[in-house]
Amino acid sequence: MSSFEEVVPKLIDSTVEIFSAMVMMDIEVAGEPMDSLGPMRDSITGMVGLAGTGRGVLAVHIPNKVAMAITSSFLGMEVDEINEDVQDAVGEIANMLGGNVKTILADRFDEIELSLPSTISGEEYVFLSQNDVDQIIIPFAVPDGKIHVELELERS
Amino acid sequence: MTGLNELESMLDASIRQVMEEIFATMVFMEISGQETSFGRRGVLTGDLSSMVGLAGDLKGVLTVSCPAAVATAVSSAMLGMELTELDEDVRDAMGEITNMVAGGLKSSLAAEGTMVNIAVPTTIIGRGMRTSGLPGAQRLTVPFTIGAGTFGVELQYVAR
Repeated sequence: MSSFEEVVPKLIDSTVEIFSAMVMMDIEVAGEPMDSLGPMRDSITGMVGLAGTGRGVLAVHIPNKVAMAITSSFLGMEVDEINEDVQDAVGEIANMLGGNVKTILADRFDEIELSLPSTISGEEYVFLSQNDVDQIIIPFAVPDGKIHVELELERS
Repeated sequence: MTGLNELESMLDASIRQVMEEIFATMVFMEISGQETSFGRRGVLTGDLSSMVGLAGDLKGVLTVSCPAAVATAVSSAMLGMELTELDEDVRDAMGEITNMVAGGLKSSLAAEGTMVNIAVPTTIIGRGMRTSGLPGAQRLTVPFTIGAGTFGVELQYVAR
């Protein structure tokens, strides 16, 4: 986890900034960073790949209820199911976080490019990174529940 | 299959070629490619999805999505051990296949002067899962059939 020491405060700041300024939702850190997360239930995950000299994945795990509230706030449309609008909103949040991670890691890796964002949703799922990857997971509280921001980086 | 552009045909051919090579030389299993579907937005369902991002001149996400029976059969054959659960061995095997398909696409694209870098694969295992890309992306999905069932290899991308 030591490789994430400098990254964590910046990732927290970025997440808070994106939620306050873009999603218009109150958010605060809700605990210490973790290195693993159990199964997610009735949730949606937005993810974006990091490629180049630094390789990894940025993911944001959001319970369905919170994802619908985010979509309503972010896109200004009421939703009552996990539809394409929710997928778009969650994918776009992953994309914005990925863009910030690129900047955060700029002094460590001179070239990081983002892949397209994608989403995965389901009744119950576990998110497994490969063996040669370090990961850090930061919990955040928002009015409707808890979300997790996860950064995985390939060991160099 | 009318109206395909050169890029679509090349990506389709590249996925098929790499999958055939992987199954002939590493999985030792008969595999048959079905008709590719092309389009915009699509939803893949499955019990296991391995995904890897592509960045550079072409931005995208490659996803291999399979039912549990396919994932365990392929992983058992590839690793030479009897696997019945969707565990870390299955994750490693399916993640590696996804990585190799992405590597094949990277080489095929590089031969045409399109430079692409690959992120690290992630595998998601669960129930009632749906994966989706974003609007504006092109999509192609190649279904493959083995004895244990049918699974999908999907590329969603935006070419620069």
